[in-house]
Amino acid sequence: MPDSQDVLIIVPAFNESRSIQKLVLEIRAAHPSYRVLVINDGSADHTAAEAQKAGAKVVNLPYNLGIGGAIQSGFKVAHSENYDVAIQLDGDGQHDPKYLPNILEPVTAGKLDLCIGSRFLADRDGFQSTAARRMGIRFFSYLLRLLTGVSISDPTSGFRAYGRKAIRLFAEQYPVDFPEPEAVMIAKRHGLEIGEVPVKMRKRFGGISSIRYFKTVYYMLKVTLAILIDLFKKRG
Amino acid sequence: MGVKTFAIVIALTIFILVLELIRRQKMTFKYSLAWLSVSLTVVFFAFNENVLFGLAKRVGFQLPSNFIFFSLLVFFVFLTLLLTLYINEQNTKTEKLAQSLGILEYKLHRHLEGKNPNQQDKQN
Repeated sequence: MPDSQDVLIIVPAFNESRSIQKLVLEIRAAHPSYRVLVINDGSADHTAAEAQKAGAKVVNLPYNLGIGGAIQSGFKVAHSENYDVAIQLDGDGQHDPKYLPNILEPVTAGKLDLCIGSRFLADRDGFQSTAARRMGIRFFSYLLRLLTGVSISDPTSGFRAYGRKAIRLFAEQYPVDFPEPEAVMIAKRHGLEIGEVPVKMRKRFGGISSIRYFKTVYYMLKVTLAILIDLFKKRG
Repeated sequence: MGVKTFAIVIALTIFILVLELIRRQKMTFKYSLAWLSVSLTVVFFAFNENVLFGLAKRVGFQLPSNFIFFSLLVFFVFLTLLLTLYINEQNTKTEKLAQSLGILEYKLHRHLEGKNPNQQDKQN
């Protein structure tokens, strides 16, 4: 019964003024009953105004916190306003709102607390990223399976649905930068049910990936270390 | 000026400087503790060379000067670690503040929207 539950769609956006309006309108056209909350992560452009024009609610962060801090603000709102489900959908247009019901369904049905949209489960005609990135993704996938026993083919995907338990947990603690793979670890540690559904991803509407050059090295190291350290944290 | 006098003058200068900074409220006691204790330790050793020499020998240093340099190095390593910790603390706190500010503003907007006289419902 997806319609009877309150769903908050969290869209983190940093300097996405060229694409955010299009994306919000697309989401609202497909799912008029869900509230769209754009987290404007200290953008220097008109991201907030464009989002508002398209009918989204906006949380303006005073400076750029990075994706983790931005998403967590969304969880805090979802938690304090008592939403049943939160959806994370990136502001660059990579995540097609068409697949929103797919990742929503397992959570509303109570089967999963955290449902991840994977681009590698479907017939592979959507955007699959570059070969180097796929290798990195496969590495994290393997690491997570080794450490948690959960098989996630696309652990870096930021197209996710969160149930009440996950919202409460992540409102309290969420990784700061490059949070997605580590969040799986945290969720598992606190006994949440995690799963995946196939989605197709698109090329981003505009802008470039935030993870480039030297950052990729930092990304790999940071996430690997964070996942390993998480092993030694207290059980939930 | 002998090395000993030199060390005492430097250590006391730091000690007094830090006390003065606390008095002017530019430094809190919490963050000055490391500096105060180290400068006092230097003064103590300067007046009690034998203790210093004995200690150096006991931990296995050929030269007392090596012991002094090593101790200073250890002190600075820990001080840096402590400072990194403080920066991290500040980071986490400002991040929480930023989130709270953003959410508060959002809630205020929603609240004001609810009280808009153009809309019929004024109860909330």
